[in-house]
Amino acid sequence: MAECCGVKRGKTVLLYACSGGANVAEISDQAARELMFEGQGAMFCLAGLGADIQGMVQTARDADVNLLIDGCPMDCAKKTFDRHGITNYRQIKVTDLGIEKAKGVRCTREQVDQVVARAREILADEK
Amino acid sequence: MKKIQILGTGCPKCKKLAENAEAAARALGIEFELVKVTDLNEIMKFGVMMTPALAVDGQVKVVGKVPAPDALKGMLK
Repeated sequence: MAECCGVKRGKTVLLYACSGGANVAEISDQAARELMFEGQGAMFCLAGLGADIQGMVQTARDADVNLLIDGCPMDCAKKTFDRHGITNYRQIKVTDLGIEKAKGVRCTREQVDQVVARAREILADEK
Repeated sequence: MKKIQILGTGCPKCKKLAENAEAAARALGIEFELVKVTDLNEIMKFGVMMTPALAVDGQVKVVGKVPAPDALKGMLK
């Protein structure tokens, strides 16, 4: 859990990674995990929102900030939030950072660092 | 009868949410049963990521916050 029983410090930030199969999804996932482990927020389940799990949708609605790390212009995370009418989100699109989407290619450390750096900027702006 | 569930392991915020929910329900004059869900596995089944949380008749209404009784009234109707 992101927080429990009176230990909340600062804003509640939830992180969502792209769940696709291309390199941009791996970059998104690794960046989200790195952000979580450095304490920027807690990863949460985009698929749960896609599946309309009511408690998960409400969790996203009540977070202070939802950071969506979409992999490509398909904007799946953004569209999921828009479908639920949840507006308290910021979005990063991995391909907007000049990273090309490709299948069967592993991500690189530099690409993950690039996304993490952009996320840190956005979250610093939100805090 | 409404089933009001307070999801949380029993910290002061959970207790405050329970108090506020009970106050709101009494102010509305509704019949209710208040249940504290303290087991983490049971809490997770609701899909919530933060506690305390409030569910009414199985629907999660608020997560990670402790609204005042007046604000809770609308969630209990």
